[in-house]
Amino acid sequence: MEAISHAGIVIGVLSKDGVVLAAEKKVTGKLLDMSGATGGSYGGSGEKIFLLNSNVISGVAGITADANSLVNYARQAAQRHLFSYNEDIPVELLAQRLCDLKQGYTQYGGLRPFGVSLLYAGYDPHYQFQLYHSDPSGNYSGWKATCIGANNGTATSLLKQDYKEDISVEDAIELVLKVMSKTMDSTTLGSEKLEFATLTLDASKQPKAKIYNPAEIDALLQKHGLGKKEEGDAAAPAPGDLTL
Amino acid sequence: MSDRIYLGLPGLATDVTTLKEVFRYRVNMYTIKEEREIEPETFAHLVSSTLYEKRFGPYFIEPVMAGLEKTPSGAYKPFIAATDLIGCLNFAKDFVVAGTASTKLYGVAEGLWEPDLEPEDLFETCAQTLLNAVDRDAYSGWGAEVHLITKDKVIKRTLKGRMD
Amino acid sequence: MNSFLTRYSSTSPDADIRKAKELYGEDEEVSEMMWGSAGGFGNLAKGVPSFKIPAVADPSSFLRMHTDDHADPSCRIKIKHGTTTLAFRYKGGVIVAVDSRATAGSYVASGTVKKVIEINPYLLGTMAGGAADCQYWETYLGIQCRLHELRNRERISVAAASKYLSNLVYSYKGMGLSMGTMICGWDKTGPAIFYVDSDGSRLKGDLFSVGSGSTFAYGVLDQGYKWDLTDEEAHELGRRSIYAAGHRDAFSGNTVNLYHVQQDGWKFIGNYDVSELHYNGPGDNVPGAPGGGYGYDIRVEGRSSSNAPA
Repeated sequence: MEAISHAGIVIGVLSKDGVVLAAEKKVTGKLLDMSGATGGSYGGSGEKIFLLNSNVISGVAGITADANSLVNYARQAAQRHLFSYNEDIPVELLAQRLCDLKQGYTQYGGLRPFGVSLLYAGYDPHYQFQLYHSDPSGNYSGWKATCIGANNGTATSLLKQDYKEDISVEDAIELVLKVMSKTMDSTTLGSEKLEFATLTLDASKQPKAKIYNPAEIDALLQKHGLGKKEEGDAAAPAPGDLTL
Repeated sequence: MSDRIYLGLPGLATDVTTLKEVFRYRVNMYTIKEEREIEPETFAHLVSSTLYEKRFGPYFIEPVMAGLEKTPSGAYKPFIAATDLIGCLNFAKDFVVAGTASTKLYGVAEGLWEPDLEPEDLFETCAQTLLNAVDRDAYSGWGAEVHLITKDKVIKRTLKGRMD
Repeated sequence: MNSFLTRYSSTSPDADIRKAKELYGEDEEVSEMMWGSAGGFGNLAKGVPSFKIPAVADPSSFLRMHTDDHADPSCRIKIKHGTTTLAFRYKGGVIVAVDSRATAGSYVASGTVKKVIEINPYLLGTMAGGAADCQYWETYLGIQCRLHELRNRERISVAAASKYLSNLVYSYKGMGLSMGTMICGWDKTGPAIFYVDSDGSRLKGDLFSVGSGSTFAYGVLDQGYKWDLTDEEAHELGRRSIYAAGHRDAFSGNTVNLYHVQQDGWKFIGNYDVSELHYNGPGDNVPGAPGGGYGYDIRVEGRSSSNAPA
């Protein structure tokens, strides 16, 4: 619990036509090798936001090592479901699977619980877009907008203020970025401190997860007037459609 | 299995569907963890190890694989492979065959195949090999399907065959 | 000297020579050359066919050891199984239709086999099971039928011919003969069909189908059969039934051979490719045929949403 309150914040906002996740990165610095995030990957630096399945993305806050283990577990669980039933796992079921695991570690002595809270942003045909939160004890709940990590109190009240029913995904992106810029420690937002992802439907009504790569995040921040002002030659490469 | 890996699974129908799903599981896990498409040769080893896991109670299938592998220069190179039912890999330069008509396929392929065929000539070779071999096999037939895999596109053709 | 007595004497020089020949296993009257030139029927000169039996305690299990492809698929000799044959009686005579595929295991050994044996101008025999067994014994039956004709100045009845064959194969019961045959013809009583198999069964009936594809043929046959069929309808029914078996049974197919037996003897109607029947049918303006291919997908093409017009 302690680790989570210090962890980089993760915000999730649900809208009628998509879900938005944004996360604050803590592990930064000039010397950090970020080449993996720009190459052929599905985007993101893989610190805070992960693709769990073709229909679910998640943001994590807490002990990173524990989070990686849980992400691996979630991916296996999703693939196991696909194998057994030949359909994408429903979002709530995936959240349940992880919570069953997390709860187990609270019940027996000798092992410590996973020090991780997660946000799950997903889509399934039963309940359309969904946003869930789970804590280390194995509790989970569904939200229209929520956040985890440091300063989550401030962020929550900001979300309460500005969230509207029937918000569009475009407005949700703007809301998330605004709350992010107000809650984060640093004065200016940039791709080195931010991870960003959306889950929408594509032309054939299939869920499409998009985890933004650094160049795309910078372009998005510029668009919403939240990016760094200087550097006229920022020359963000055209955002390639690197989604899975 | 992916845009540039194709897998043929002749054998027991229930094992064909099960293995198709097992491979989807494993290829998906590979893709999401590695954050890249699996290479044909890597996939062939995945097939091999998956089958050997059931060494003493095997799946009754004999997979054949075809695809395009990326060379270090970024170009694509044709790749084919086959395994037996417990995963013994066979990387061939010319052709691979499997199924109840395999003995017949070997004979015809041996006669028709030649190196460095152009895509359309390769298609004709494949189609004629298959059609003539299955006509000599009681268990195979009722038409055929040929996938011509090139770097720009994959052409699927459904061939009319004898209906007996 | 009484040559008849000499022949059976046990003390004469003749007897010694005979004993010596028996010892060396030399055939008394039929040399190897003669056996060959008489196409396997040479030993019939003595009136009764005889076969060399393997010098083992149990000849039939010895044979089975080398031929039974269920117990041991890798055995050297594989007897040809898998066939569809049918025959039915109706107002206008007898229709006989067969496929032409010969398989050894999964291997399609031939697609042009003649499975109807023309015993004489009034008798047809169909072939299912062991190809050699059927061919040999039905040809042999032909010889006996001709002898019957010569001796009695009258054609043999279908009942008698089939009974002759039935009794003959029964005497070999348990030795591994494999045949399922229909003896079809026209005699004083009219059209007749007898089913004879190597187990010794002999059945008289109006409608039979024999072989691995028989179930498929029966399906079509039973559905379309009636006594008052016209000749054209009867031909179509026979052709369509063998097509169905050729389509669905892996061990039947390639072509259909169709025969019609009437009062003046049998007539060969035609040979039809099963694939050609599937896609295009028996040909243009064949009386009795609906026109177009027999195949389900061909008949319904463009008539359902799942199989829309091209």
